[in-house]
Amino acid sequence: MLTLWRLGSRGALAWLLLAAFTATAVAAPAGPPVRIGSTLALTGPLAPTALLHKIAGEIYVEELNKANGLLGRPVQWVLLDDQSKPDVARSLYEKLITVDKVDLLMGPYATSGILAAMGVAQRYQKVLPHHSFGMPHLAKYEGHFPTAPFGPQPNVTVPTTVFDALAATANPPKSVAIVTSKFPSAQFLSAGARDVAAKRGLNVALYLEYEFGTRDWGALAARVKDAQADFLWIGSLGLDSNQLLEAMKKLDYTPPRHFHLFPAPGPLALAPDGKLALATTVFEEHPPFTKNPGAARLVPLFRERATRANVPYPYVDTQAGGSFAAWQILEAAVTATKSLDDKVLGQWLRQNRVPTIIGTLRFDGPNNYGDDLFKVKQVHDGKWVVVWPREFAAPGARLLPP
Amino acid sequence: MPSLTLLGQAVVSGLLAGGIYALLALGLSLSWGLLRLVNLAHFALALLGAYLTYQLGTALHVPPWAAALAIVPAFFLLGLAFHAVFAYFRVSEFGSLLVTFGVAVILESLIQWFWTADYRRYETAYATASARVGPLYVPTLELLACLTAAGLALATWAWLRFTYVGKALRASAEDPVIAAAFGVNHRRQAFLLSGVSAAYAGIAGAFIALISTLAPSQIWAWVGVVFAVVIIGGLANPIGALLAGLLVGVSESVTMAVVAPAWAPLVSFSLLILILILRPGRV
Amino acid sequence: MSASGIRVALGLPAAGLALAALAVAGLPAFYESFLYLIFSWVALATSWSFLSGYAGYFSFGHGAFFGAGMYTTAALTTMFELPFLATLPLAGALAAALAAGIGAVVFRVRRLRGELFGLLTLAVGFVLATIVLNTPIDGGPGVYLSGVPLPRLLASPTGTLYLLGLGLAVATVGTAYAISHSRLGLGLYAIHDDEDVAELKGVPTLAYKLMAFALSAGIAGVAGGIHAMYVSYVTVGETFSITVPLYVVLMSVLGGARHWLGPAVGATLIASSLYVFTGGQQAVLGRALVALVLILVILLLPEGIVPAALARWRRWRPRPVEVLAPPAVAPAAVAPAGALGCHDVWRAFGGIQALRGVSLSVEPGEILGLVGPNGSGKTTLINVISGYYPADRGRVTLGAETLTARPAHEIARLGVGRTHQIPRPFAHFTALDNVALAATFGPGRVSPRQARAEAREWLAFTGLGRRAAARPDELNLHERKFLELARALAGRPRVILLDEVLSGLNPAEVASAIRLIQQIRERGVAILFVEHLMRAVLELSDRVVVLNEGEVIAAGAPREAMRAPRVVEVYLGKAHVA
Repeated sequence: MLTLWRLGSRGALAWLLLAAFTATAVAAPAGPPVRIGSTLALTGPLAPTALLHKIAGEIYVEELNKANGLLGRPVQWVLLDDQSKPDVARSLYEKLITVDKVDLLMGPYATSGILAAMGVAQRYQKVLPHHSFGMPHLAKYEGHFPTAPFGPQPNVTVPTTVFDALAATANPPKSVAIVTSKFPSAQFLSAGARDVAAKRGLNVALYLEYEFGTRDWGALAARVKDAQADFLWIGSLGLDSNQLLEAMKKLDYTPPRHFHLFPAPGPLALAPDGKLALATTVFEEHPPFTKNPGAARLVPLFRERATRANVPYPYVDTQAGGSFAAWQILEAAVTATKSLDDKVLGQWLRQNRVPTIIGTLRFDGPNNYGDDLFKVKQVHDGKWVVVWPREFAAPGARLLPP
Repeated sequence: MPSLTLLGQAVVSGLLAGGIYALLALGLSLSWGLLRLVNLAHFALALLGAYLTYQLGTALHVPPWAAALAIVPAFFLLGLAFHAVFAYFRVSEFGSLLVTFGVAVILESLIQWFWTADYRRYETAYATASARVGPLYVPTLELLACLTAAGLALATWAWLRFTYVGKALRASAEDPVIAAAFGVNHRRQAFLLSGVSAAYAGIAGAFIALISTLAPSQIWAWVGVVFAVVIIGGLANPIGALLAGLLVGVSESVTMAVVAPAWAPLVSFSLLILILILRPGRV
Repeated sequence: MSASGIRVALGLPAAGLALAALAVAGLPAFYESFLYLIFSWVALATSWSFLSGYAGYFSFGHGAFFGAGMYTTAALTTMFELPFLATLPLAGALAAALAAGIGAVVFRVRRLRGELFGLLTLAVGFVLATIVLNTPIDGGPGVYLSGVPLPRLLASPTGTLYLLGLGLAVATVGTAYAISHSRLGLGLYAIHDDEDVAELKGVPTLAYKLMAFALSAGIAGVAGGIHAMYVSYVTVGETFSITVPLYVVLMSVLGGARHWLGPAVGATLIASSLYVFTGGQQAVLGRALVALVLILVILLLPEGIVPAALARWRRWRPRPVEVLAPPAVAPAAVAPAGALGCHDVWRAFGGIQALRGVSLSVEPGEILGLVGPNGSGKTTLINVISGYYPADRGRVTLGAETLTARPAHEIARLGVGRTHQIPRPFAHFTALDNVALAATFGPGRVSPRQARAEAREWLAFTGLGRRAAARPDELNLHERKFLELARALAGRPRVILLDEVLSGLNPAEVASAIRLIQQIRERGVAILFVEHLMRAVLELSDRVVVLNEGEVIAAGAPREAMRAPRVVEVYLGKAHVA
C-alpha cells in the first residue's frame, strides 16, 4: 500500500490499467448464455461412435467457458438423444430451433442424421457445422459446413491417396480385391476405389458388397483368399474389419496389404490380426498434428475423460478431431464476425480459411467442400501412425512393407 | 464358377455358423413350444452372458469355460425368477411377447450403462485357431460351438423323450388340463424348463463373446434369423432346431460364396417361406 | 345409426378439424413434427390391428408394407418424377396388392395360423428388404428426396406433412370404427375366436381375411409414402429395421388390439414416451424406464388399456340385463324345404378310409338317426356334408343344389346348419352375439337389428333367455350345448346336423332337448341326428342309418335296423347274434 502511494499517479495509472486488463482477460464469461443445440445418437446402433463426439464436444465447451466463452458470454450445449434415428433427429432439430430457441446449431452424428438436420437448418436458414458426413454430393444447402474433410469427390480423392501411398513403395500392388459393406458412404467410396484402381491399370480381382450387419464371414473370407490379390480394400464399418481378418486367419490367410475404410480404430489396432492395417485419418496423436490449434489441450483431456467413460480406445483421431474442428470453425466465425447471425456466419465461413486441429479448412468448393485432407495411417506395434503423405508421417514411420 | 474348395469351405463355415443359430434357437424353441411363451428376452440374456464372459475374461482373466460354469447356474436362477413373474400374472402368449420385449430393452439399457455403447471384442489367443481337413479349414471355436449345440440338442431330445420330466412337459404343452389330471405338476416342470432355457442362453452367450463382436444393439441382430430357425425346426423340437440352424447357416454361406453376398438373407428367408407353405403336417 | 356411432361420426372429424386448425394457426414446427410422428404411428398401429387384432392373425410384416410404400414414393418421385401426392395412392395400392398376393397363398393353408403366420410375414419383410437393397430400386446408396417438391398445403413443409399425417390417422381410426361395427368386423372377430366354426356359420373367412390384410397393408403403404418425404433420405437399413413391425404390435396390444381406438391410444402413449427422455444424461435410463412401464401395464391390464378402462366404466355404470321370456309361439318358419342327399361319398385321411361310399337321404320334416360304434365315420360324414372337409369322391346335394366342392361358408348359406360334439362357442362373444352372428351370416340378408331380434327369439326358444348377456365360460355344459343348438338354428337352416347333442346331459335335460328337436322337425327342417343314447334314437328317429368303419351296414325303421344281425354283431360281438 505504502509502495503504491509512493509510485505516484503514473504508477497508480499503470497498476489500474494492469488490473483492468487482467480483469477483462481472465474474467469468467458473463451474461445470458449462448445456447448451441444439437443431437447425438446417445442410444441405438450408432451410439458407440457418437459417444466420442459427446466427449469431444463437452471438452470444447468447458474449455470455452474456462476462457472467454463466446463473445464474452458462457456457452451452453443443449444436447438431445436422437436414438440413432433420422426421423427423431429431424423433429428434435425442429424442437431446438422453434421451442428451445437455441442461438446456434451443431450437427448430429452420421450421414443420415446430418441430412435430416440439414433439411431443418435449411428451412430456418441456420448455419450447420457437422463432422461425420460421408456423401458430399448430397449436401446441397449453402449453410452447411463439413469438417469431415472429404473434398467434393471423395470417391476419387480418397482411393487416389491410398493408391498413391502404395505406389510409392518398392513393390506396388498389381491386383486388388475390394470387399465393402452396403452402408451408403462405404459403398460409395469403395465403388470409387474400384474405378480408380481400374484407371491406374490394376486388376480388380474381386468386387463384393456385403450386407451391413453380416454375421457369418467365413464365405467372404474364402472368396477373398481365393482371389489371391496383392491388396485388399475393405469398405468396413466398426468391427467388420476385425471379423473379416479373423475369418481369413482361420483359413490361414493373411492378405499381403489391407486397407480399412471406417474401422473402429481401437479394436483394429489392438487386434493380433490388425498388424500393418491401413486406414485413413485426419488426426493422430503425434507431430505434426499435435502442433495444430487446440491439440495440446484436447489430447490429454480426451484421454482422461474417455478413460473415465470406459471407452476402450481413449485417443483422439478422425472422429474426435473432426468433432473438435466443427466447434472450432463455429467459434472462429462467431469471434471474427462478433455476431450470432447465421447469415453473417455463413458468409464469413465461405470466404475464409480456418486453422483447426485437423488442418486448415476452406469451404469455397462445390457444396461447400474444400480440400481432401485425409492421410493414410498404419498400425505399427499396436498404435496408429500416419505414413503418407511423407510430410505428415510420424517421425521415422513409413508404409510397411516398404 | 466358384472352385470346389471355395464351395466346400463355404459349406463348412455355414454349418459352423449354423451351430450358433442352433444354440440360440434351442432355448427359445423350448420355451415357446412347451411353455407357450415367446421370449424376446432370450436374446438379451444371451448377450448379457456374452458380456459377462467378456468381462470375466478381460478384467479377471477367467477362461471362458470357467466363466460359463459360473454364468450357467446364475442364469438358471434368473430363468426361475422370470417364470415366477409369468406364472403369477398368468401371462398369455401374446402378452409374453410384450413383457419379454420390455425385459430385453431393460437388459439392453443395463448393458449400455455398464459397458457403454462402444464395440467390444473378446480377443483370445485361440480365436483364429483352426484345424485342417484336406484343403478345407475348420475353425476350432466355431467347431466347438457347433458340437456344443449338437450335444445340447441331443441331450435335450433325450431328456424330453425318455425322462418323466420331459414327457410331463410335452404332455402339459399339449393338454394341460388332462396332464394335470394325471398328476403332472405343470408349475414345477415349467419352472425347471424356464431355468434350463435361460441356462442355454448363457451358454450361447459365452460362444457369442468368443466368436462375434459385442455392442448393446447386437441383441436385435439375431432375432429374425433365430426365429426363422425355431419355426423351420419346429417348436419344442431340439433336433429340429439343430438341423434348421445348420440348414439356414449353410444356405446363407453358400449364397455368399456363389453370388453377391448381400442376397444371403433372401435365400434363407425364402427357404423358410417355402418350407412353411409346402411342408405337410403340423409344426 | 346407433348413438355411439353418431358420437364417433361427429367426434372424430371434429377432433381432426381442431388438430388441423392448430397447424393452420401456427404451431411451432417441433410440435408439428412430433405430432406428425404420433399420427403416423396411430395410422400404422390401427391398420395393423384390422387383421391382427380383430382376426387374431398376428402379422410381423407390417414393416414390409410400410417399406414398400416408402420405396414406391421414393422411386416414383426420383426416377419418374411423378408428383408426390400422386404417388401416395400408388404406394398404398402396391402394398395392398402385395398383401393380397401373400394372403391368397397363405390363407388357404389351414396350418399357417398363429405364430407361423407371424413368422411368415416377418420373413416377407426380410425378403423385400434384400430385394430392394440389391436392385436399382436402392442398390445401397439410399434414395435422396430433398429435391422432390412438396405441395404447399400449409406454409411450412412440416405443416404439410402434419396435415397429411393427420388426415391419414383420422381416416384410419374412422375406418377402424366402421369395420368393427360392420359385418366385416363381426366376421373378423369370429375368425379370431374360432375360424373353422365361423366358416361353418357362413362367414366368408378367406375373403374377409384378404380384405382386412389388404386394407391394413394399403394404409401402411400410404403412411410409408408420406414418411419418405419426412425423412427425405431413404435407406434400406432404416426403412426395414425391426422397429416398425415390433412397435406396432406393442402399441396395439398395449392399447387393446381388439378395440377400434385401442391401438391409437397405445401408439400415442409409446410414441410420446420415446420423446420424454431425450435429454442427454437420462437417455439410457429413460429407455429402461419406459420398458418397465410397458411391462407393468401388460401384466396388470392384459387386454389392453382401452378395454380395461371401458370395463371399469361399465362396472361403475352397469347396463340393465335383458331378460327374455319364452315366446308363446315358436318363431316363424324357416326357408323352404329341400332334401339332403349323400351319393356314394368317399373320404380318406392318409391311410385311413373314413367313409366308403356312404349314401343316404334326409327328407324335410324327417329325423334320420345316424348311429354306429366309435370311429365309424359319423362325425367325418357331418364334416364332409358341412364342407369342413372335401369329399374325395361322390356328391352331396341339398334339394337341387350340389354342395360338394363348395367352400363351407357357401354351404352354410345354402341352409346347412350343424352343432359340434364339444360345443365351440365364440369365447369373446356373449350368448346373444354368438347366435346373432349365425343369423347375420345365414341365408338372405338381415340387418344387425333384425339379427339380434332373431337371436333373442332363438335363445328364448332353447330356454336360454335369461343368459343372453353371459359369456360362454359362464355357462354350464347343458347351456353351452343349447347355445350350439340355438346358434345352428339362427342360421335358418333347411337341414340341421346334430352331433351328439345329448351327450353329457342328465335325464331331465335330455327330455327337454328331445322336445326341442321335435319342435324343430315340426317346422319342416330335415334333421340328421348322430347319437349314442339309444333311447333317444329310438324315440326320435323316423329312420335310422347304421355306419361301421365308414360304410352303411343297415338302414330303415329304427327297431328293425337295430336288430339286424350285422348291427348286433358290430355292437356286441358275434356271440350275441341270435
